[in-house]
Amino acid sequence: MIGAHLLISGIIFGLSLGSIFFLITIGLSLCFGLMRVISLDQLLYYNLGAYVTYSISLATGNLWLGVLGGMAAGGAAGFAAERLVFLRIYERDITFSMITSFGILIGGIGVIKYFWGLVPRPVPDPINARIDILGTDIPGYRLVIVAIAALVYAGIWLFLNRTIIGKAIRAGIEDIEHVEGLGINVYRLFTVTFIIAGGLSGLAGGLNAPLVMVDPQMGIDLMAFAFMVVIIGGLGSIKGTLVSSFLVGQVVSLGSLIYAPLAQMAPFAIMLLILLIRPTGLFGSPLLKR
Amino acid sequence: MNVLRWWWGLVLAFSLLALLRVFLPLPFANEIVIFSIYTIGCNFLLGRVGLLSFGQPAYLAVGAYAAAFYFYYVGSNPYLGILIGIAAGIVVSFAVGSLFVRLRKDYFALVNLALAVIIFYLMQKVLVGITHGDNGLWFLTSLSSTPVLDLTSPDQFFIFSLLVAFAVWAFYKYLDDSIFGAACLAAKINEDKLRFLGYSNYRIRLLAFVIANTTTSLAGAMYAVYLGFVSPEIGSPSRAADPVVVTILGGVGSLYGPIVGAIAYTGMKDLISKTLGNWELIIGALLVFVMLAGEKGIWGTLEPLLLKALFRRRVPAGTGRDGVTGG
Amino acid sequence: MMNGADILTVSGLNVSYGESKVLFDVGMNVRPRQVVACVGRNGAGKTTLLKSIAGFVKPASGSIASDQTSLIGLAAYVIAGMGVKYIPQDKKVFSDLSVRENLELGSYATKDYNWDQVTAYFPKLKLLMDRKAGYLSGGERQMLMIGRAILGSPKLLLVDEPTEGLAPSIVEHLKHVFRDLSKKTALVIVEQNLPLVCAIADKVYALNDGRVMAEIADRESIRPEICEKYL
Repeated sequence: MIGAHLLISGIIFGLSLGSIFFLITIGLSLCFGLMRVISLDQLLYYNLGAYVTYSISLATGNLWLGVLGGMAAGGAAGFAAERLVFLRIYERDITFSMITSFGILIGGIGVIKYFWGLVPRPVPDPINARIDILGTDIPGYRLVIVAIAALVYAGIWLFLNRTIIGKAIRAGIEDIEHVEGLGINVYRLFTVTFIIAGGLSGLAGGLNAPLVMVDPQMGIDLMAFAFMVVIIGGLGSIKGTLVSSFLVGQVVSLGSLIYAPLAQMAPFAIMLLILLIRPTGLFGSPLLKR
Repeated sequence: MNVLRWWWGLVLAFSLLALLRVFLPLPFANEIVIFSIYTIGCNFLLGRVGLLSFGQPAYLAVGAYAAAFYFYYVGSNPYLGILIGIAAGIVVSFAVGSLFVRLRKDYFALVNLALAVIIFYLMQKVLVGITHGDNGLWFLTSLSSTPVLDLTSPDQFFIFSLLVAFAVWAFYKYLDDSIFGAACLAAKINEDKLRFLGYSNYRIRLLAFVIANTTTSLAGAMYAVYLGFVSPEIGSPSRAADPVVVTILGGVGSLYGPIVGAIAYTGMKDLISKTLGNWELIIGALLVFVMLAGEKGIWGTLEPLLLKALFRRRVPAGTGRDGVTGG
Repeated sequence: MMNGADILTVSGLNVSYGESKVLFDVGMNVRPRQVVACVGRNGAGKTTLLKSIAGFVKPASGSIASDQTSLIGLAAYVIAGMGVKYIPQDKKVFSDLSVRENLELGSYATKDYNWDQVTAYFPKLKLLMDRKAGYLSGGERQMLMIGRAILGSPKLLLVDEPTEGLAPSIVEHLKHVFRDLSKKTALVIVEQNLPLVCAIADKVYALNDGRVMAEIADRESIRPEICEKYL
């Protein structure tokens, strides 16, 4: 049996893993829900965020400045991609956006390789403190990540439910034509959404940087997991991505305590199971034709 | 449509391809042929059925490893190994296809990629006992020479792969012209109408899925015989874009697109790796560019022009956009 | 009386969905504060006509102008911003938002936060303010859609089959609302309900298979029997 200490640290690890998944997949979900595009380039902003965090924290010695920088870089990159590329493909088939965003992802990795090279970079842990929870030694940094993810969720909730732009976005997720028919500039909503999505992905990259080596492949490495989380939760649902991020996080974390190789494959099995019962994921929105 | 006209396009294309051998080094030529076979499955799925898959490496790995297991543990006949690879392809794609093709397009693409990651992981870590993980399975020496065409000789392998490719292309051309091909296109464009006509969208998609991915597994098995060695790298998810890129480059849905795309892709990759070094940037930018400019691709744009020039024939409206059958 | 400042002028409009042509050389004129009805069988192209004017469908050729400004090529939200509002026939409101929030979006777009007129026409909405719009009945949704659209005092309302599937009492209510609205706003109403049309329309266009079959401008001639001829 698994000892209590191992279990507790496994759960915390799963929570912090789930937090990172959540930050990346909000972007994917929002972009799909509002614009019906699959934004695979979010993984690039994750990667970019990590690298910018690395560089800034190296230069200033402060990780949190780096994370802020990473978030800003992600948001800026998302903005650029939206204005230059996505703007032209909103009316097209969804496979169009998949292929194009994949191109942005791959191309962006090339840019990263050009500026930062191929060698993986380590980023130091900012918080060496270890907190005692129920008699178990937990790295403080992981708790901070979970706290930040909780704050982000609260922030997103407030944004979507208490601000007029957020409400417009929620309305747009339901029916974008009706929103435009009211006279609201929906293209501006799209831009805002991309900036938010990119920023959160960049934040995820920055936060994860001290925990994994920063290398050009990190986005691709996470890609499959990000997909599985999004598919399980259902494209277009924030609540869905929240639930499935933490579900997958726990499965991977606790699963690896039992039998490591299978833990990586368990999310895939779950995904297949969910798809059999509910082809649009737990809370997914339908793919409405526009 | 008389027999000669049906075949002449194929014969011409493959004669040209054979001619390539004169200008290109043998490894290059072999790579292009096998890569084309790898791509035509993806091309067919995307162009004819409207299904985008980011998980083609999965089926490549299935074919390659099935052949590899045979060579490493059981026997040594290259032909048999390839047949086993094909059989494995049929089994796996039928098994996963029955679930996958029920899904929406976007989930479909993502789920295939997830499969590729799982298979990669399986081969690299989980089944390391039989696959030897990253070290790979080496069996070049255990391949036995075959009469008529010795597959262990690269020169003769080229002839073999050319013949196989010719057969594959003839098969796909036949599909294009058949009711099944029409049904696929119909399923892509208007599901509801097809259902009202009494066809099962699901069955059509499943059959197309199995055909396309079995072709991919065939390519995988051919890689195994050609290289004499298989490692998890062959199913690496980071190369999931390769067949998609080649498909787009060559022209989605065009019959000879994969060949043109494969030549362009392999050539560019070699050139750029040697001179600029930053392959990802070029391929990414190229992909975005091509998508924004129009999905016809190289061959898709050239073909109508060529047909017009060669036959002084007006190209029918709608051609070149959603797929053209070879002339 | 020749008045050049038509609120809407459509001429030679040709619209296709992909390969199939839906509207053939359609023309229409609407004066300020005029009520124009558009009748025709299902599939005649009425909705396509409204959608083209509102900017949701791009015509192949022809012209659409309001107050001598061309609407062709403008984004739908720009056209709505110019005071040409489209009310679709799907009776859809933003179900996850409350009635209040639905109206807030309308106000946000038009900068008109005075809801008095909306509640004057539809007092029931006042009671439903905090209800999630998804729980409204068909009639209540239609009221909300119209209420949202009249914010900002539009100069032209394009209404698509407003009374479809509604109870007679609500239809009667809407009739009065439209009559009153027409004192300030021009209306183009697509309808199958002929008695309603004949009660409030100043002009009727009959559409069939994408073509304008008749334009009845004489109020006296607008009677159900006449309209039925063209259905």
